[in-house]
Amino acid sequence: MSLVRMKCNECIPERDKHMYVTGEEPVIPSCNIATLPGDMTERGCAFAGARGVIGGPITDIIAMVHSPVGCAWYTWGTRRHLSDQYAWATKDRLTNVAFNRRFCVTSDMQEKDVVFGGMKKLERACLEAIRLFPEAKGLIIFTTCTTGLIGDDVQAVARKVEKETGILVFAAQSPGCSGVSQSKGHHDFNTQFYRQVTELRERRPELKMREEEKTPYDVCLVGEYNMDWDLKVTRPLFEQLGLRIVSVFSGNERIENLVKMPDVKLNIVHCQRSAEYIAEMEKEGNGVPFIRCSLYGIHQTSKALREAARFFGLEERAEQIITGEMARIEKSIAFYREKLQGKKVAIYVGGPRVWHWIKLMEELGMTVVAGLCTFAHADDYEKINAKAGKGMLVIDAPNEFEIEEMLLDTKPDLFLCGMKEKHLGRKLGVPTVNSHSYEKGPYAGFAGMVNFARDLYQGIYAPVWKFQWGLNGGGETTDAAE
Amino acid sequence: MRLSEIPVEGIPYDQLKIEKYTCTPEYAERPADLIPSGARAVVVNPNRTCMPLGAMWATMGLHKGIPFVQGAQGCTTYVRYTFSRVFKEPATIATASFHEDAAVFGGRRNLIEGIRNLVVRYRPEVIGICTTCSSEIIGDDMVSNIKAAKAKLREEIGREAADAVDIVLINTPSFAGSHVEGYDRASRAFVETLATRQTGPNHKVNIIPGLLYPGDIREIKHLLRHMGVEGITLFDISDPFDAPLRPPQKFPYEPPGGTTATEIRDMANSLATMALQPHAGQAGARYLERKYGVRALVGQTPVGVQGTDDFIRGLSEVAGLPVPEDLLDERGRLVDSLADTFHHTMMKKVAVMGDPDVVLSVTRFVLEMGMEPVALAGSSVSKTFVHSLREIFEEGEFTGDPLVINGGDLFEFEEYLKKLSRLDLVIGNSKAVDIAKELQIPLVRVGFPIYDRFGYQKRAIVGYRGGEILLADIVNSILGYQYPDDRTHQL
Ligand code: SF4
Ligand code: SF4
Repeated sequence: MSLVRMKCNECIPERDKHMYVTGEEPVIPSCNIATLPGDMTERGCAFAGARGVIGGPITDIIAMVHSPVGCAWYTWGTRRHLSDQYAWATKDRLTNVAFNRRFCVTSDMQEKDVVFGGMKKLERACLEAIRLFPEAKGLIIFTTCTTGLIGDDVQAVARKVEKETGILVFAAQSPGCSGVSQSKGHHDFNTQFYRQVTELRERRPELKMREEEKTPYDVCLVGEYNMDWDLKVTRPLFEQLGLRIVSVFSGNERIENLVKMPDVKLNIVHCQRSAEYIAEMEKEGNGVPFIRCSLYGIHQTSKALREAARFFGLEERAEQIITGEMARIEKSIAFYREKLQGKKVAIYVGGPRVWHWIKLMEELGMTVVAGLCTFAHADDYEKINAKAGKGMLVIDAPNEFEIEEMLLDTKPDLFLCGMKEKHLGRKLGVPTVNSHSYEKGPYAGFAGMVNFARDLYQGIYAPVWKFQWGLNGGGETTDAAE
Repeated sequence: MRLSEIPVEGIPYDQLKIEKYTCTPEYAERPADLIPSGARAVVVNPNRTCMPLGAMWATMGLHKGIPFVQGAQGCTTYVRYTFSRVFKEPATIATASFHEDAAVFGGRRNLIEGIRNLVVRYRPEVIGICTTCSSEIIGDDMVSNIKAAKAKLREEIGREAADAVDIVLINTPSFAGSHVEGYDRASRAFVETLATRQTGPNHKVNIIPGLLYPGDIREIKHLLRHMGVEGITLFDISDPFDAPLRPPQKFPYEPPGGTTATEIRDMANSLATMALQPHAGQAGARYLERKYGVRALVGQTPVGVQGTDDFIRGLSEVAGLPVPEDLLDERGRLVDSLADTFHHTMMKKVAVMGDPDVVLSVTRFVLEMGMEPVALAGSSVSKTFVHSLREIFEEGEFTGDPLVINGGDLFEFEEYLKKLSRLDLVIGNSKAVDIAKELQIPLVRVGFPIYDRFGYQKRAIVGYRGGEILLADIVNSILGYQYPDDRTHQL
């Protein structure tokens, strides 16, 4: 066991317990605890987890953000959770982007709403939005710090609006300050959605899947958000296997299909941080078993297919699919592996992708020298420890200063990170690849891995990195010395 | 193995065959009674964002300046994300990380600890504390909290080091205004807290640019240089938000440039303050005028001929210096460009959206081109927007009757545009991309935010030279769209 201290934390030793280097004995760092104020954290808020991560990808709902304008504006069309359902822009033309990312809908609270309560305004806003958007099959009200603090009873508003309009109305109550990170919002959405769907199915049994519609191969993909069209490469794999994907929680999914989640035979859980909660509840409440999987990299995607196949006794077909896919990508992967062999990467993501990607990087001949997680829990670190080699630096809820020190100390050839950190990496001369919304995805599955490898390759081999050392090639000092 | 030998380099979208499904079988008109923003409670596609963003923007323009956001993490992280998207630069901004306990007991502890943690590691020279909706609702007594934070700092790093950090409070509850107002409030907060009268005048001119891009600020500095005027630019984001890739960088990363606290102090001794955006920065200029008698010149943003003329005239007058030949040449080049292009711009119908000062100044410029504005949407509600537009129309002898949206949302704007029989061009920020694409007309990008294209933050639309860039953009967009054939061979 080796906990480490970074230089930048000499004056805030509270951070020490959040970082370690993998070794003989597995360490679980302090995690999922309060952020130190002013430490320059990269974490977001619980609302972001509920609205951005899970609510955002649903294709045909109105996402009503009950807040002053900012919380809504920042979540408008940002994350690249794509979908294929479009509204009409004009008589003969569809909108430029799909419905779930085209409109930003908010109650835009003003001072008087804050003082006197925002429920009336919210109710009016919901009714108007439903009239404005006949495209929508449902509406989800998201609360924020403001509406959490003033204590608006949005559940009551939701019930009222549903009664009045007949449209499915849900509430996702996850004010930004209610947890320590986005993770709280994932959890809130999972539990509240499960509960509301259960009640809804009791209230309106016609929304359940009819018995005659069911097949023995009905599954649900849980924790898959269709980043940059990941589903276009992963979904066919399961379908070729003979499975019917009834619903995806929640990438490119219609609300009516999400209501049918309890009707499937198996849940296949991809993101096990943000969505395993609902799989657990489905198991407990409705007896739907689940398997965990990773759909990144050759080994893990194959394993996922094999395990899903085993559950349904379709092993042979799984092998055929894997062989076919491998033949398709082998040569390309070999090319990139040759180029990437021996390179070092640092990965900074929400949490799960660190362990999702360790194996994938190895498949490309690379080593992960550092893994950083914004909102991981103990089980994520267990998974990281199980997959990581020795000597990998792990940091929980890293802040900007630690990221810089990590980059300078571990000297990765490439830094996989998010939008905020990538420019920091570049300023330090370290190439980066956007690991949240991807550079040019999809990255999942077999075919997606080629895209991923290509973007890693482009990162490292971009000509620009040769020029960064100044006129005389030695950095600032040489230039100035004349 | 060579790249050309591999069968697939990756799977581009066209190989993915994404089928588009329609939500409804066919197009249906949106209910007419709900189109005007004023007629509904719901806001669809807001044209503005929240107040703290403007205050953080301002603080990012200070040398060794770090914003500290008194609120939960989202309000900060989202803004950092937005800045990174727009400027392609890191944005170091601290948060008080309100969790549930802060919501119950208030954010005093978060502020005291947060400032401490920030200062001991980063040693900033200035901290701009931006409040949020939550801290304002909780009712944190910020003045007393800041005092306590300062006391804690002194205890820890000594009086001298602690007092070297200027802490400025900016109250920015979003439910009371937009990002534009946040910047405006910051302009006042910084001069109010820091500016001090010294023994003699400094013969400088204060410039408060407003929410202009690094390229614009560089162009303003170019104009000052040629006029021979020394300026103090308050919130000079030109270097922090457009920094070179030139390692070794300082550790931790410290963006170059920015206005120093000393410069802000000295603003009380200047000849005048020129606020280039009446809605974003006027408050600071007025304060300096009231308190220190520093003359405030608040005019439209220097876009186009007359906009820049006003600025140059003002500058020449307050500095008592003549306009040099080379600037008159620059002006002449812009006028020459207008002469070379009006056949393609006159009578073209244009819609403009964005922050009020962007809409006002760009409208003035398109009238100089003989274009016809048909819809003008200002992001943030303003008492003066409509009146200023009327003045601009009068000056440009424009008699049309465009839709004017003062603080309404983009849904209203877009529905109006879709019903027009003809529209040639939209001018505005990235939030208008979908609208322009759906109408199949070009979008000329100006203002904040622009995140879907590269380079706009680096170039200028202000000044005579910036005018030429914007004019070229407008003309070329129209040509590309309306003359796809070879008729442009004799332009
Ligand atoms: S609107 Fe208010 S609560 Fe929302 S992000 Fe802005 S400051 Fe935070
Ligand atoms: S106010 Fe709360 S919910 Fe809104 S962005 Fe800030 S932290 Fe998130």
